[in-house]
Amino acid sequence: MSLFHRHRGLTPYLLLAPGVLFLAVFFLVPLGFLGYQSLESGNIDFGYSFTWSWSNYWDALHNYRQQFIRSLEYAGIATLLALVISYPVAYWIAFRGGRWKNLLLLFIVAPFFVTYLIRTLAWETILSDNGFVVNTLQTLHVLGPSGRLLATSTAVVTGITYNFLPFMALPLYVSLEQIDARLIEAAEDLYASKWHAFWRVTFPLSLPGVVAGTLLTFIPAAGDFINAQLLGSPDNHMIGNVIQSKFLELTDYPAAAAMSFILMAGILIAVFLYARLVGTEQLTGTAG
Amino acid sequence: MTDQLTRRQLLERAAMGGAAITFPGVLAACGSSGSKASEGTTSVEQKLAKTLNFSNWTLYIDTKGQTHPSLDAFQKKTGVHVNYVEDINDNASFFGKIQGPLSRGQSIDRDIVVLTDNDRYLSLMIKKGWAERLDKSAIPNFKNLVDVQKHPNFDPDREFSLPWQSGMSGIAYNDTLTDPVLSVDDLLENPKLKGKITVLNSMGDAMTIVMLANGDDPTNVTDKAWNAAFKRIQTAVNNKQIRQFTGNDYAPILARGDLSAAMSWSGDIAQIGNKHIHWNVPEAGGALWTDNMLIPKGGNVYTASVYMNYVYDPKVQGLMTAGDPKRKIVGIYYIPPVKGAGEAAKQFNPSAANNPLIFPSASTLKKVKIFDSKALNNQKYLEQWQNLISG
Amino acid sequence: MSAVAVERARPSVLAKVWAFVRHHVLTAYSILFFVYLLLPIAVVVVFSFNNPPGKFNYTWNAFTWDNWLHWDAVPGIRSSIVLSLQIALIASIIATALGTLIALSLVRYGFRGRATTNILIFLPLSTPEIVLGASLLTLFLNMNVVFGFWTILIAHIMFCISFAVVTVKARLVGFDRHLEEAAMDLGANEWTTFRKVTLPLIAPAILAALLLCFAISIDDFVVTYFNSGSEVTFPLFVWGAARIGAPPQVNVIGTAIFVIAVTLMLINVLVQMRREKRGLA
Repeated sequence: MSLFHRHRGLTPYLLLAPGVLFLAVFFLVPLGFLGYQSLESGNIDFGYSFTWSWSNYWDALHNYRQQFIRSLEYAGIATLLALVISYPVAYWIAFRGGRWKNLLLLFIVAPFFVTYLIRTLAWETILSDNGFVVNTLQTLHVLGPSGRLLATSTAVVTGITYNFLPFMALPLYVSLEQIDARLIEAAEDLYASKWHAFWRVTFPLSLPGVVAGTLLTFIPAAGDFINAQLLGSPDNHMIGNVIQSKFLELTDYPAAAAMSFILMAGILIAVFLYARLVGTEQLTGTAG
Repeated sequence: MTDQLTRRQLLERAAMGGAAITFPGVLAACGSSGSKASEGTTSVEQKLAKTLNFSNWTLYIDTKGQTHPSLDAFQKKTGVHVNYVEDINDNASFFGKIQGPLSRGQSIDRDIVVLTDNDRYLSLMIKKGWAERLDKSAIPNFKNLVDVQKHPNFDPDREFSLPWQSGMSGIAYNDTLTDPVLSVDDLLENPKLKGKITVLNSMGDAMTIVMLANGDDPTNVTDKAWNAAFKRIQTAVNNKQIRQFTGNDYAPILARGDLSAAMSWSGDIAQIGNKHIHWNVPEAGGALWTDNMLIPKGGNVYTASVYMNYVYDPKVQGLMTAGDPKRKIVGIYYIPPVKGAGEAAKQFNPSAANNPLIFPSASTLKKVKIFDSKALNNQKYLEQWQNLISG
Repeated sequence: MSAVAVERARPSVLAKVWAFVRHHVLTAYSILFFVYLLLPIAVVVVFSFNNPPGKFNYTWNAFTWDNWLHWDAVPGIRSSIVLSLQIALIASIIATALGTLIALSLVRYGFRGRATTNILIFLPLSTPEIVLGASLLTLFLNMNVVFGFWTILIAHIMFCISFAVVTVKARLVGFDRHLEEAAMDLGANEWTTFRKVTLPLIAPAILAALLLCFAISIDDFVVTYFNSGSEVTFPLFVWGAARIGAPPQVNVIGTAIFVIAVTLMLINVLVQMRREKRGLA
């Protein structure tokens, strides 16, 4: 019996139908409106009209190239950091968590219960210029005598990393937990060191989780604005901030729309390249 | 003249069909309690609706525990229940939300909204015809409006808006971290404050203050004055003098001592509760901003006007602004726009009545200016400003 | 005795210590991780007992039980958190259900439109929230709906589905289909196999998706803001209140949700432990 069904009747479509229909109505249609808006021109005083205004796209790319690149950069670094930080913990919960697994998972998403603003304010208190952390870093000469952590690009990237940890950790756990512990035992018997066993056996088996976590972190992080707004200075602002200001303060809805599509295109290109790197089976799951 | 205009507007609306149906109380003859006999000769039907939908900024009204005494008293007096929603926390985002329905001629199901005059959105609402004309015949207390607010340049005859509360923008400093910072020169150019100050991200506030320091007039902005002030702020950004551009999120940073000084709003500083933080109007002058009540298109004009009349009673306003510690009523603690409110407040909360941040003296009021609303709508200025604060 | 045997009979103290460290380094690291993760929560909890000096709860002043005793003293705070919890619960369940179905279909079947569906799933993740919220608002306006609970719920389900799909997919991609094959060889039909073999094995992924969606929903601000009409959810309330100083009750509620969730989880664990004991007894 084939394990991977190729076009087996209606089943795949029936499974897809509810979710895809929902998204089609409540996401694709709005996206259509956005697309239409991106080709409009005008202003709030006299209204907007559809004029096939491709210049919106060109202007956006031309004027805000720096912010686009910076966003992809920050998101990329944050994703990498999140991966490195979360992987060991996901591993620990999956293999050593025992009956406490679910509780530990709950702890990972717990910070979201207090709303973004409150937990960021708490971090600002902890990382204050006169606080324990900064003072210690200054004593260790990691920071200069008048150095600070807040209102810097470090703060922005760290903020993004922290706020996206659950998006990395949970998919990693989901994939790791599936691995049969006996496989690892066998691998350790085979290979000279535990480390070797990990790299040759465990890590590749957890790749679906790594891919899932990276995507769930990188993609939304690229469009983030709030971390840069609260934790950054003007020269740390991301494309999300520009889109925000185009929409709200400048009421330039066509520009905001065009920029959003450019961002989405940029992200999709990055994802495509990433898929090439890890092999599309991991991404789309053709592995039987 | 006014009667004819309102009548014509009504007929236009009726012709639009859809929009007319959304009027809650004007055209429908629902039996609302406490309807008054029509006063004057306006053809706005003078029947009170059962509910008044009032959207306001958070914590911007008098409170006693879970209730708002002024709203309860209003209900007692007129029978109108106020559905009070605190869903405005920023002019730009609130406008971004309501422009959708309003631009389609749909009602936003609110009778009163509150927008600030140091942002473009207030004048935009009026210019685009998204605000209803007030029923002045229902607002005899209009005469109590303070003179300085009588002819703002976004609404010269006060046909569409009435002030709710005002506040001032100036400079706060922490005396444990720095000598008094009383001028823009100090704030933007004193090297000892490098990286330890913030500037407001509100164009109206920041540019008013810097223009005044340059000796220019912010109530009538010229390109030359704009460029001079803009350049000054930009230099301070480039040499890292300015740590961040903030909205009201300067307050936690100031409170924990990460800032020596901050461009800030008057009301906030008293509420930080730190004796070492002082707020002043800058030497060359500060900014005055006012939150205004507006009736968005589709709102019940008569009921909203009656409410506005109610809050323009000096006694009501005095209690709302200053609160009453004896009865555990917490006041708004911003600057009321009603003549005589200060006097009335003395009987409720004498210490608040003497607080110069809530009831500023005439000499202080002379030093604060309202930003030119034409400049607020200048797309070129706006883009320049956004590029500056958003890197 | 051979030289090797002698070697093995005398493991050095250092080797023992090293073995101990290596065994526990992962645990130590994980503990550090949780400390890092929950540090702001600790600050939030501490400040929930603060009696703020003014209206702002940013500097420690004095200890008080007041905020906890009068946790809903601030008008609007109770209804906002109730609304947020309701929406988060319902949205996460529906989004996870829809997402799981999509994930199953994507991983196990090859069909026309598979690649497109994959792209469709990634798109909502990559759309900046502000235009996502505003465009959805446009749709709702054109549909002439009343804004409130249902529009918020629909919005939340919409942006949560993608997270659920990707999370469950991570589990399905490495799934050992032979288990299902074995079950079917033993006589079970497809539905029974799914219920008794597949579902329990992907349960951790479903739980993870639920938790993730719940967290996203309860913390969402921008999309909710545009589509809430005049309803106020907890994040909307906090953002508004922060302008004049978020009251300590906000900290109280955040702490309370955390504590209640942890307690419920703990009870679940203890119940399971009891069951296991009884099973063995």
